[in-house]
Amino acid sequence: MAEILVFEEKEEFLARLRELKKDGHSRRNLALYLPWHLPEVEEILEVRPEALRYFAFFGGLSGFVGGMGFILYTVLSWPLITGGKPLISIPPFLLVSYILTILFGSLATFFGFLYLARLPSIKGMGGAEEYGNRFVIVIEEGQRPWKP
Amino acid sequence: MKESKALDPREEVERDVLAVLCRPGVKWLAAVALCTALVLLGLGLWGYQIHSGLGVSGLMHPVNWGIYITNFVFWVGIAHSGTLISAVLFLFRARFRTSFNRAAEAMTIFALTVAGLFPLIHLGRVWIFYYLFPYPTERHLWVNFRSPLIWDVFAVSTYMIVSLIFFYVGLLPDLAIARRRFSGIGKKIFAVLSLGWDGSLDQWRHYNRLYLFLAAFATPLVASVHSIVSWDFAVSIVPGWHTTIFAPYFVAGAIFSGTAMVITLVYPMQRILKLEKYITVDHFEAIAKILLFTSLIISYSYLVETGFAFYGDNVFEAEQFRYRSFGHYAHLYWVMIFCNSLLPLTLFVRRLRRSLPFLFAVSLLVNVGMWMERFVIIVNSLARDYDPYAWGTYTPSFVEIGITVMSFALFFLLYLLFLKAVPVLSMTEIKEHL
Repeated sequence: MAEILVFEEKEEFLARLRELKKDGHSRRNLALYLPWHLPEVEEILEVRPEALRYFAFFGGLSGFVGGMGFILYTVLSWPLITGGKPLISIPPFLLVSYILTILFGSLATFFGFLYLARLPSIKGMGGAEEYGNRFVIVIEEGQRPWKP
Repeated sequence: MKESKALDPREEVERDVLAVLCRPGVKWLAAVALCTALVLLGLGLWGYQIHSGLGVSGLMHPVNWGIYITNFVFWVGIAHSGTLISAVLFLFRARFRTSFNRAAEAMTIFALTVAGLFPLIHLGRVWIFYYLFPYPTERHLWVNFRSPLIWDVFAVSTYMIVSLIFFYVGLLPDLAIARRRFSGIGKKIFAVLSLGWDGSLDQWRHYNRLYLFLAAFATPLVASVHSIVSWDFAVSIVPGWHTTIFAPYFVAGAIFSGTAMVITLVYPMQRILKLEKYITVDHFEAIAKILLFTSLIISYSYLVETGFAFYGDNVFEAEQFRYRSFGHYAHLYWVMIFCNSLLPLTLFVRRLRRSLPFLFAVSLLVNVGMWMERFVIIVNSLARDYDPYAWGTYTPSFVEIGITVMSFALFFLLYLLFLKAVPVLSMTEIKEHL
């Protein structure tokens, strides 16, 4: 059976969490539910930096490389001089690649978030326990499978 | 909606903000009906233009970019302040953004929706709009990536997608709150829209990073999108357009007009929806300071470009600026100077800055002034080009005026629907700062 601790105030919740950490509990057997993000929780539980930054980085990188590659392919596949400008005109191509960096970076970060946060969640949609504005610690028996 | 009897301030925030989503009143319905009628009228005029051709507009040599392009630039500019308030002020940790960010983000999306229509309306043969996108055709032809019009397609589409993601992500925890507090069909809708958000630690920490990354991705867009729109003009050699100051000048103007539109939208919202507790005079004063600051930047830009013209030893440029000030459209130029440069100076007075009706009136006139600015830049330069034998004037036709009215009606219609569809304030952020 899991033990559920419910707190109205942030300070009480954080104090209890510190005690639990001292007692040897870790993220593996604690589930926390918060009404808003509390950075202190991550410090207490010594949570590792998450993988979302890799989605942002590689999404942006693929946008830039893919965008530039695609533009170069289009101008080389039909080499048509327009406006007397060189076939490979780096400044305007950089501009479009830069925009695609932002586009792909944003999309990859968003979908990366959905993957890491396990959303959409059918369980959450189907009327799981709602804790409202309270801070909740669920102490589970045994080890929970580790989630990134 | 379930009513809470508790006096907990966090519960109170939820109750007050979600009360806005209650059954609409007669005034809201009347406003929606009026906007819908104007939108239908505008669509009818657009249909008439598609059927008859662009000849029914006032566009004619030498002025082939008229108020359609004016509207495009104006609405893209309006969109900018949403990103400034939501992304840039988030990165600067400016707390007053919580009162405005949701409305400003919604405004960005609606302004971009309206802006995106105008290149299509201006195209004439709108049914082949997809020629603008790079796709493999049987002719093996690709779009010209050296053309600023193609940069526009990429910039505005990207801006729309990133703004939509940013808006939706900001809404997620609030949609979960709405799911908890509503019952029946409302609960089901919010359950799906909130994606089953349960507020677990893992969700919050990934969410926090996501919001930060999206703000970081969106911030350069504030500078780049309107710079690219300005290059539609600046990379040509038309007098009055071909100047290096255009990108920062357009970006400052965009933030200026967008900030004015935020005030125009949020002040009535605050009064009608009784949100004075959450959107205070202090918040409006902070926004008024942004308005004043950006007004000073664009006034400086007006001075600098006039300086370029008269000290640049270019007779065509000098003639263009003389024509702007004293030519056919001089009255619009002076309205622009009054609304954008002189009137905002009154905001140096603290009492006026904190007077919400006065601030609202200033914001309306700034909107007028910024629309005039776009018109003055676009039409004057085309009307008075290099060759006197090719000079001409332009008067918008009733079709163009009707479609312009439609654009405003569509914008306000979308905003009215937004007020009744999702929480208009970020409840989570307000509760966090209580």
